[in-house]
Amino acid sequence: MREFLEKAGNIDRRIIYLIIFLAVATTILVKARFKSSPLPEVQRSYKIINDLPSGSVVMFSIDYDASSMPELDPMLRAMLRHCFKKNLKVIMLGHWPLGLPLGQLALDDIAREYHKKYGTDYVFLGYRPGLQAVMLNLGKEIRSVFATDYKGTPLDSLPLMRNVHNYNDIAILVGLEAGSVGDAWVQFANARFNQKIILGSTAVITPDLYPYLQAGQIVGLIGGLRGASDYETLVEHPAMASLGMASQTVVHVLIILLILLGNIGYFATRRKK
Amino acid sequence: MKREVPLFITFITGILIIIALFIPHKPFGQLQTTFNDWLIIVGGFTMILGLDSLLLHNWEKIKRKKEGWLSAAFLIASFFITLFWGFGEGIFFHRNPFDASATFLRYFYTYIFVPLQSTMFSLLAFFIASAAYRAFRAKDPNSTLLLSAAALVMLGRVPGGQAVAPWIFAFVLLLLAYYFFNESKKTSGTQQTVYIILAIITLILIYPVFYILLHYLNGIADWIMNIPQMAAKRGIWIGISLGGIAMSLRIIFGIEKTYLR
Amino acid sequence: MSISLNPWVWIAAFLTLSMMSFLYKDNIFYKIGEHIYVGSSAAFMLIYLWYFDVKPKLIDGFINNTGFSRWILIIPAFLSLLMLMRFVRPVAWISRWAIAFTVGMGAGLGITGLLQGFLVPQIKATILPLYVSGHSTLMTIYLSLNNILLILGTLSAIVYFYFSKEHTGPVKKISQIGITFIMVAFGASFGYTVMARISLLIGRVYFLLHNWLGLV
Repeated sequence: MREFLEKAGNIDRRIIYLIIFLAVATTILVKARFKSSPLPEVQRSYKIINDLPSGSVVMFSIDYDASSMPELDPMLRAMLRHCFKKNLKVIMLGHWPLGLPLGQLALDDIAREYHKKYGTDYVFLGYRPGLQAVMLNLGKEIRSVFATDYKGTPLDSLPLMRNVHNYNDIAILVGLEAGSVGDAWVQFANARFNQKIILGSTAVITPDLYPYLQAGQIVGLIGGLRGASDYETLVEHPAMASLGMASQTVVHVLIILLILLGNIGYFATRRKK
Repeated sequence: MKREVPLFITFITGILIIIALFIPHKPFGQLQTTFNDWLIIVGGFTMILGLDSLLLHNWEKIKRKKEGWLSAAFLIASFFITLFWGFGEGIFFHRNPFDASATFLRYFYTYIFVPLQSTMFSLLAFFIASAAYRAFRAKDPNSTLLLSAAALVMLGRVPGGQAVAPWIFAFVLLLLAYYFFNESKKTSGTQQTVYIILAIITLILIYPVFYILLHYLNGIADWIMNIPQMAAKRGIWIGISLGGIAMSLRIIFGIEKTYLR
Repeated sequence: MSISLNPWVWIAAFLTLSMMSFLYKDNIFYKIGEHIYVGSSAAFMLIYLWYFDVKPKLIDGFINNTGFSRWILIIPAFLSLLMLMRFVRPVAWISRWAIAFTVGMGAGLGITGLLQGFLVPQIKATILPLYVSGHSTLMTIYLSLNNILLILGTLSAIVYFYFSKEHTGPVKKISQIGITFIMVAFGASFGYTVMARISLLIGRVYFLLHNWLGLV
């Protein structure tokens, strides 16, 4: 028995890798789905967007790249669906050069799904370096940062942009965050210009954003794949995130069992020593 | 010239930005907007710092057939292919390479760049599982607390977690009771009594813990995130912010000069 | 659904598997994939620099602006040029002027952002009533206790990281409370980090099973 316990505490790492891979693959293959009710902070975010009058402008900031795509891409798609369903106008920009095209591809896909027109219903501004400098100058006049959209079309020739000049004309800013850009949005757009912000974030940084939520510096928080799947549930369009949550449950349980096994092995060996 | 001018530039820009926060009127407000605009332009060039050493280092590897020259060749080739593909889109097809219809975005980005980057980071899933198994030990009260909080959050934040958690925690308590009983056999006198009492308490705890987790786990995870977790993070970040402010002041006043190296 | 016939999907699948092969052991497929990633990222940055910075801000700015706002662009253009001097060894030192500008801006913006956007609102949000009235008794106890814990947690975590004073006596006691809160926070962060990492794997496995093999 003791020998078995000691071995249990010393499984080869490759076997662990295989177990994790098989657990994820099997749950996806059998299309397992577990139900859960959306988290309060996600519900709040949904409600805020849902209550916006039709025609309001929502600005999306793509501050992630492919390294966190599985979490934030489904979130972005679910939120874009919500916006277009509610006839809200979407402006997109971003601060992570390597990931910004992901936002554009998603925007293009979802806009087509809802038969939305570029320039009238949605606009893609692109990227400018300078982070906080961009955020501050957007508060004065968007044209001072983006004189044109990404294609070089002057903003005034885009019907959507004609009456949009600064944060006063943007109902909600949605920052999709994988790093510290979200902090900058809060510290500059919210603190200086009172811009209402909802942050969607990778699970890694979500715990760090709770202080902003409690302080009312952000009005909503959508964290990780769980947040994305909650939003998919709320917009009644279950997709990638909802499918992934079953794997998430299985692997979480597996990892906890592995930790337990490791500890049993540890205590068994320690006692012998 | 080599040190004084940069120190002066840093001082002037830093101070101006701080003054503009308190006096956002003429001329400071406008100056800040202008400086921001310059930063937007100049800041982009920091993205390509180090490009020369990256290319030269890999070129040397290929030239001298050093170890890893083949992958170095792929690095240089992929650099130029990406560059020509991206700029070619603009030169030959007169469209932005980031246009949704551009082949650069549709093919290169989607099928080469994204799989590489996302798979590289997905490997972390395996490493974290293996590391948790190997290193996460309930050695003392603090690490036990950390472990318990992690388990409660991990199970409380996934669908179905509330149904599984009671069984896992009940099993852990059972193991603990077994451990105390075993220890009691090896000791005698007061110590033995203490171990037996501990074992009995642990056994009694199984039912309430099972019941509470079965009904309130999600709420508990919510509470952990919103109260103790949030409070500690706030404390930590207040500390980090004060450090950040001190560091920025050192830079502005020229005490910290490492960036001039 | 059936297996994909799109050659691009096959390339993506091959690259995905090449990267995953690292789990067995470091090998040439992984190395090549990694180097392609680094090489193309560097080129990507250059393309970005042109299309989202130099062209719209400097070139178009110079063409479309008039008067003062046109000529003032000479300053950032000059600073950008200085930045590029980094690549010319004998005069590389002059790039420090441009770097000094970005560092100065970063420091100034850092201070103002943290002060106005973090410290003040966060401290304000910690000034909470210790007794929350107007609810049922149970709720009053719960909410009041939460507020007390919130204040205690924040203050004790700050004390824990305060290294300028030796941790003895009452300071030690408070910092011990702090470490308790910090452990809970790190545990929660660990849980969330696991969630994030697993999500990334789910994304890749989904790609292989859905987009490539067409099994889902």
